Amino acid sequence: MRKRWLWTASALVYAFLYLPLVIVVAYSFNDSRLNAEWVGFTLHWYRVLLDDEQMLRAAVNSLLIACTASGVATVLGTMAGIALHRYKMKFLLFLVLTPVAMPEILLGVSLLLFFIQVLNLTLGLFSVMIAHITFCIGFVAIVVRVRLAGMDESIFEAARDLGATPWQTFRLVTLPLIMPGVIAGALMAFTLSIDDFVITFFTAGVGVATLPLQIYSMIKIAVTPEVNAVSTLLMLVTLGLIVAASRIAPEVLKGKA
Amino acid sequence: MSKRDRLLKWLTGGPPFLFLLVFFVAPSLIVIVASFRFPGEYGGLAPLIVDGKANLTLETYRFFFSDFIYARVFIKSFGMALATTLICLGLAYPVALLIARGNKKFRDLLVLLVVLPFASNFLIRTYAWMIILGPQSAFSRAINGVLGWCGFAPVTLLFSSFAVLVGMVYVHLPFMLLPLYANLEKHDPALLDAAQDLGASAWQRFWRVTWPLSLPGVYSGAALVFIPVLGMFAIPEILGGTGDILIGNLIKDQFLGTRDWPFGSTLSILLTLVVLACAGLAAWFSRQGVRHA
Amino acid sequence: MNGFFTAKDAKEKQKFRVSLANLCVLCGKSLLIFWFSQIAFAADVLHLYNWNNYISAQTVARFEAECHCTVVQDYYSDNEEMLAKLAAGASGYDILVPTGNAVDALIRQGALRPIDKRQLPNFKNLNPAYLNTAFDPGNRYSVPYAYTLTLIGYNVEKMRALGVPTDTWAAIFEPKYLAKMKGRVTVLDSQRELMAAAMKYLGYSANDTDEAKWRQARDLIIRAKPYWAAFNASSYIKELTVGNIWLAHGYSSDMFQAAQDAKRAGRPFTIGYSAPKEGAILALDSMVLHKSGPRPDLAHRFINFMLDGKNSAELTNLIGSGNPNLAAMPYIRPEIAGNAAIFPGREQLARLEMLKDIDRNHRRVLSRMWTEIKLH
Repeated sequence: MRKRWLWTASALVYAFLYLPLVIVVAYSFNDSRLNAEWVGFTLHWYRVLLDDEQMLRAAVNSLLIACTASGVATVLGTMAGIALHRYKMKFLLFLVLTPVAMPEILLGVSLLLFFIQVLNLTLGLFSVMIAHITFCIGFVAIVVRVRLAGMDESIFEAARDLGATPWQTFRLVTLPLIMPGVIAGALMAFTLSIDDFVITFFTAGVGVATLPLQIYSMIKIAVTPEVNAVSTLLMLVTLGLIVAASRIAPEVLKGKA
Repeated sequence: MSKRDRLLKWLTGGPPFLFLLVFFVAPSLIVIVASFRFPGEYGGLAPLIVDGKANLTLETYRFFFSDFIYARVFIKSFGMALATTLICLGLAYPVALLIARGNKKFRDLLVLLVVLPFASNFLIRTYAWMIILGPQSAFSRAINGVLGWCGFAPVTLLFSSFAVLVGMVYVHLPFMLLPLYANLEKHDPALLDAAQDLGASAWQRFWRVTWPLSLPGVYSGAALVFIPVLGMFAIPEILGGTGDILIGNLIKDQFLGTRDWPFGSTLSILLTLVVLACAGLAAWFSRQGVRHA
Repeated sequence: MNGFFTAKDAKEKQKFRVSLANLCVLCGKSLLIFWFSQIAFAADVLHLYNWNNYISAQTVARFEAECHCTVVQDYYSDNEEMLAKLAAGASGYDILVPTGNAVDALIRQGALRPIDKRQLPNFKNLNPAYLNTAFDPGNRYSVPYAYTLTLIGYNVEKMRALGVPTDTWAAIFEPKYLAKMKGRVTVLDSQRELMAAAMKYLGYSANDTDEAKWRQARDLIIRAKPYWAAFNASSYIKELTVGNIWLAHGYSSDMFQAAQDAKRAGRPFTIGYSAPKEGAILALDSMVLHKSGPRPDLAHRFINFMLDGKNSAELTNLIGSGNPNLAAMPYIRPEIAGNAAIFPGREQLARLEMLKDIDRNHRRVLSRMWTEIKLH
């Protein structure tokens, strides 16, 4: 009997989770400029989307930033994860976890002030990249550390006993074993970077629109179904990445605690 | 540790440490200093050194504490975060239980189904609620129809605190669900069988066995919901009505509206202190919980 | 065990190295293309930082054809946003289109390049009523572009049915009228604009910085707030058109668009708009040259191009903005040119005010009052 109650409650929650997304996707095909009532089916808004130069520029920017930021963050985060697991650096742990735990608005604001007051750097693509790397390192480090924690230490001892140098141990033993974690971390960093809104909002200069910023300006100004269209496409892309991540390292999703 | 090990330690840990030192610790210190500076005449910050002396002031903190109104905004944000966390807990727990106790074959699929909405940008999810709660939508008309039938005046669902709460809960639900599920999955079913054999009712089994064991997951999920909600500004801006101003909106307004950067910094620092205090409390609670479990 | 590791690992290493190499090449290529395209674009490019939807695409296309150059546009939706982004170090903009009080702030900061009127033969087309403003006497830095009024837009039939007067700010501030329209009124989400409207209704100048008068305005707003649906900066156009909102505080160009949309959608009501008799706010947007712009020569050509009557009229016909250019009048559609809310007559003009920038201490006080208003 309890099972039935659990099932209905869960079904309702899943419905709550999906109904809005279904509506967004459905209305992207709506033949009306306003998002108020259903009029008819059309692919018009997708065509408008593909012609929208600003949107395409924003998409290219997002991809560029996400690729670079996740690449650098993966390298730095992997190093941090290994260092944390192997050498238990308390201070590094604090530095790595705090950007993850703080509200994003604080990170955005502090980086804005830092770039302008100290570095006197003009905000632009570069400033956004640095900001993204900063908050992505933590996620990659956590994933790599979780992966290392679940491994048998004796493998590394065996490699050392057999005469491998530290670099050889890393290259031939550690890296292949943690590779699923590294890739999952990279994919997670990529998704976070491409989706990030608050930090990008504060650190993007003029002329650097990313997709979330573009969507935000569209929501505030012209709420045409073009927003629905871009949302649908964005959902499909990010979904693909998450599915890929879950295939490569399934324990990442579950070990989030 | 041998010299070689120490060298390796700094070789692997060094670069990320340096990067975060420069791009996380230093900016945080800048914010602290900025909260003591004067605002620039046309925006930004006034110069730090004027005539060889440091141009600092306690004025911004005095301004914050001179009026209870800013504390009210903090309390309001705190309340919204608490409400969001509790509602997320209430919605996420049954689903997490179901997935954890359910058939092993479907677990991954069900977890993926939970993560799927996460795949869309949170602005899109907020925007979806603009459509659903708008006065022309089927949902609004249904609710108002029922209310009208019961004799109440029609309500506008959009641009209200209710809409903001719905938006916040919706966006943060997966953050509560995943840690809960991760914890519940590790529970040993034998414990529940033993409790049943000892004569415990279904409710007692839940309250005395499942709930205490799940507390670490609950705290993780609560932290992952509570802290981000405190800093949000986009959702109140898009879904909120005339009174829905949270601390995130205030901070954003100081930087990109009033051009009062020192005051924005002050608000940011006070928010950080509140967050740290809450994190400290949560850590203390979870340690108590572990002691009792 | 050693052999097992090296064998399996060699194949994986090889695969990994190949894919890594491919990825590097791909990244390198795309980065190169990106950098080169940036350099190529720098050739004959005009960087324009403008309001959203504040220039017709045809006008831009015609200018690009005439000058054999490219116009790259960036947009902002609020003066404060633009000022904040510029304060944050944004540079490389040739032309900005700020409103009066923002021009004021920019001039005083020394952020603008003086205009060379010798390169602007079309300058004489401008209406003298919009020249020599308080913030730029002699028009050394700014050239008027377009203007809007902040006023009230309304559902004509509904207002007539409810008996609400539409020529006064009382419609949004007096509970006796608001009670009839509870939840159907929106106001602008702008500190300066809403306070200015309240000050005008109380009979004060919108630029008065006396805190006692501000407190009166604040109390007036707080009294009316329970009847308002929302503070809204942009979606009120849609709400008016669809019929959810019956009265909105907003910009004349937005109201023009709402009226057009309602007519096109075949709604059973019409949208009207008028400037209240107590006075309204005039927002005069001017073209200015930012000192970090790389191409002042192209910028002058653009300004001269926009000062030509026919080009200037295109924006007015598109969005219903006011036009300070006398040479444009023949090209403007008669129903727009004759609309007193878009082209105010001389006595109406005397009652309009332009907002001035306020100093940092008053900004802080105003910001606190705004928080009080929102929280109340």
